[in-house]
Amino acid sequence: MKSTILLAVLFAISAVAQNAPKPPMGPVPRLADGKPDLSGVWDRPYVPDMSKTGKNQEGLSELPFTEWGLAQWKNYHAEEGDYTGACLPFGLVRSINSPMPMQVVQNTKYASLDFEVDNWFQVVPIDGRAHRKQEPTWSGDSVGHWEGDTLVIDTINFNGKTKLDTIGHPHSNQLHVIQRWTRTDLGHISYEITIDDPKTYTKPWKNTRTFTLRPDWEIMEYSCEENNKSLWEGRIKVPKY
Amino acid sequence: MTQKLLTIGAGICMAALPLLAHHSFAAEFDGNKPVKLSGTMTKLEWTNPHIWLYLDVKDEAGNVAKWQCEGGPINTLTRNGWTKEALKPGDQVTIEGWLAKDGSKTCNARSVKLPDGKSVFAGSSNGEYR
Repeated sequence: MKSTILLAVLFAISAVAQNAPKPPMGPVPRLADGKPDLSGVWDRPYVPDMSKTGKNQEGLSELPFTEWGLAQWKNYHAEEGDYTGACLPFGLVRSINSPMPMQVVQNTKYASLDFEVDNWFQVVPIDGRAHRKQEPTWSGDSVGHWEGDTLVIDTINFNGKTKLDTIGHPHSNQLHVIQRWTRTDLGHISYEITIDDPKTYTKPWKNTRTFTLRPDWEIMEYSCEENNKSLWEGRIKVPKY
Repeated sequence: MTQKLLTIGAGICMAALPLLAHHSFAAEFDGNKPVKLSGTMTKLEWTNPHIWLYLDVKDEAGNVAKWQCEGGPINTLTRNGWTKEALKPGDQVTIEGWLAKDGSKTCNARSVKLPDGKSVFAGSSNGEYR
């Protein structure tokens, strides 16, 4: 049933998204150092299931689970514990997969990925520095570098407590995420995300997407805690870690 | 036909998309248990991560049951042009959705309609949705 609902949602998104205003046209904006400027409020495809393909999203239908990964996937039941429902951090990949828009604010040293969902953000150094040494976190440690006009963001050191998407595809604390951001023109970003997690998947796999600039939107406040009745009244459970 | 598909799509979106945005549908609701409720609105909580609608539903014997139904997040509704003024206490509404798994009088609202059939908090005038 959950697959049916997710498919219905993907269909609905692709149907109604046709009425979105056309994105602005123009060349790739650039910063003083000549690198592309990814700044803007971006409309992204909602990806509740990374194995599915939809409008502006190409997934991988057969995920290459390891034995451990497949067991995690088969044994996941959201009603037994739903971390986002409990207002715990979405984590990097599920934030990227969320339906609400995000804003990128960038200078020559940093790119700030500001997600509307639960108002989570991640400030990514993009000057080519090495990963920090720190305790694992929900969203991991991200650093960026340029490969031509593509910003490559490399993320490691996850705590392993999140899921990749709403339907609950698993990952471990060995997760390594590579994002490739390429602003192809004023109105679009070509986006690629690679999931590399040898404990959960036998080989790296990826999704490719198109993000669309929405100059008519601003990021809004979105509080998970304001009125999370479902958690308070016991219908949503906090996962046991 | 295209318009019909858009309308259906928007309706599904308004129910399922915002919900899934915050948490898994399966964590709380049962997609195999649809419900249709008609009653009197008693309260609207215009809040995140979801709005909540409260209504009194009267059965044939006149007994009143108090129900609560989850809607989308303010953010999505606002981008679609909705405000909290769209519904007020005393309004008669019909809600279609799915029941919570725990057996309480709680639902996820797939559609909310006024007596004239007009949908509230579902779809927007230009059909745009995110």
